[in-house]
Amino acid sequence: MGAAPASRDVTSYGMGLAAPLALFFLLFFVAPLLQLFWLSLHNDTAGLHWGLGQYLHFLADPFSLSVLGSTLLLGAEVTAVCLVLGFPIAWLYQRVGPRLQTIIILIVLLPLLTSVVVRTFAWIVILGRQGIINATLQSLGIIDTPLKLLYTQFGVVIALAQVQMPLMTLPLITALGRIDPNLDDASCSLGAGSWRTFFRVVLPLSLPGVIAGCTLTYAAAITAFITQSLVGGGQMLFMPMYLYQQASTLQNWPFASAISIIFLLAVLAVVSVFTTLGRLSRGYGGA
Amino acid sequence: MILNRRSLMTTALTLGAMKAFPGLSFAQARPLVFATFTGSWEEAHKAVLVPAFRKANADAAMVLDPMLSVDQIAKVNAAKANPPIDVMLHDPGPALVAIGQDLVEPYPVEKSAYYKDLIAEAQEPMGPAPFFQVVGLTYNPEAVKTPPTSWADLWKPEFKGRVGITNLNSTLGTGWLVEIAKMRGGSEANVDPAFKALEELKPNLAAVAANPGALATLFQQGQIDISPGNFNAIQILKARGVPVEFVAPKEGAIAFKTTIHIVKNSPNRELAFKLIEAALTPEVQTTLMNPPYLIVPTNSKVTMGGEIARVLAKDTAELKKKFVFQDWKKINEQRSAWIERFNREIKI
Repeated sequence: MGAAPASRDVTSYGMGLAAPLALFFLLFFVAPLLQLFWLSLHNDTAGLHWGLGQYLHFLADPFSLSVLGSTLLLGAEVTAVCLVLGFPIAWLYQRVGPRLQTIIILIVLLPLLTSVVVRTFAWIVILGRQGIINATLQSLGIIDTPLKLLYTQFGVVIALAQVQMPLMTLPLITALGRIDPNLDDASCSLGAGSWRTFFRVVLPLSLPGVIAGCTLTYAAAITAFITQSLVGGGQMLFMPMYLYQQASTLQNWPFASAISIIFLLAVLAVVSVFTTLGRLSRGYGGA
Repeated sequence: MILNRRSLMTTALTLGAMKAFPGLSFAQARPLVFATFTGSWEEAHKAVLVPAFRKANADAAMVLDPMLSVDQIAKVNAAKANPPIDVMLHDPGPALVAIGQDLVEPYPVEKSAYYKDLIAEAQEPMGPAPFFQVVGLTYNPEAVKTPPTSWADLWKPEFKGRVGITNLNSTLGTGWLVEIAKMRGGSEANVDPAFKALEELKPNLAAVAANPGALATLFQQGQIDISPGNFNAIQILKARGVPVEFVAPKEGAIAFKTTIHIVKNSPNRELAFKLIEAALTPEVQTTLMNPPYLIVPTNSKVTMGGEIARVLAKDTAELKKKFVFQDWKKINEQRSAWIERFNREIKI
């Protein structure tokens, strides 16, 4: 026992406890990422010639850029659908009794307990030419020929929104739960209507949850390889499938690495936009 | 040897590490690892090939590790000096990649008892072909009353919005594209006619599946009624009661050699050879030819029977006449360009 324990500042923590995790991340996250980056800096598939050729190939090609663009757009659409559908559920959760709360939380969590593959196949059954939607509409006489729902952007967005919904709803439930219910009453007693209360009080105070939910949903939606390829089909190309093609089918690892690095940077950019919005919202919420 | 605290500590740590990570001791023998394909292939090999091999080799330890060809190549490539797989199974495209990247050993032909009995197309010195996969037309007999006879039938106006294909990630999709090119005057070196034909096929296309497995699902869902398809995949659907039939088109059904290879630097070279020998025996091939597996045999001593004789060929002579073998060396040269072109042009 050397130094007297009393002399230690109680607010400072030893970094020793974090070291195992840091080492783990260094070994299994940072190192492979660096290797990926190193690989992407080669112009040929054998990895012998250095250069930025793979990045130029991607960035100068309108087709590759359109794949990146449509993937980022897909994420935005799914996030928007999840937010619009998830917010009322989370809001409802805070306003019903404990029995209904249990039911709601069960409904929200249930999708997480089923495999993504099973859920995606269920959507194929629902959206197909002879699926539930088309069969119902036809039997009601609303349509004559089956609607094309599967293999469309619409189908992918709907299926992904269902699959990723818990990631949006759970942070929202937490954020709304932290808002003091008295604030509602206070707002009303000061003369605000319920919509005004919602937009001026509830929404700003729930923004941290909205930002967290959007970030999670967005990241999960754009990387959802299984749902994208099964509901989107083989002719709708998003970044994960593009990567898979180059890495697995064509064994073009340097180009695949470059695609992943570009994808990673694009996602980081979008996420940092979300976080900036979050910072701004804190100022707004306090105003 | 002087025993001090440090050397004792080192010994203890090493022994401890070896106990904790048995894989660290390189000299230790591991069981023979056979990378087969997933799905019906895995089932067939688990039920027929593995027991036959075990019986002939005093219950030698072996494991099946089912995965796609491209994943096998990636795994072996990542650890060439100490490969985690001893025997690889490949479609023609990946087989050439594996050979080109120096990942496989030549087959010890002179030691083999069965190699010379294989039909000429199956005799590959870098790894023989114990099985064929056959691609023809598959259709739903409840929706398509007159069975199709030619690839050209897919373009018939009556199939508007009912045709399914796969993209070029799969051997099925790429092989079919080449056949369409040939039908329209092209070849393995020139698939322009096939892309023009695909453009004309668009009104008929109901779906472009991401892989052959997804294509099979589409028949089950009634999403498509006709498509190019794999003979074996169709048999599985049929066995599950899905109304689906296979016909060899008059242009010839596409045959893919499925080759089996000893991985270079395998620590289990001898057992790997024996497993491949077992796959070439007439007994194993006959069992695999019969229901429920219906895998096309390559050993000329196997008498064709059952569904295979009815739909495909009665003997090897007829088989060679009806099957089309493609030049995958030529195909591999341009495959990435075709995939890129397909990505760009095929939007439905």
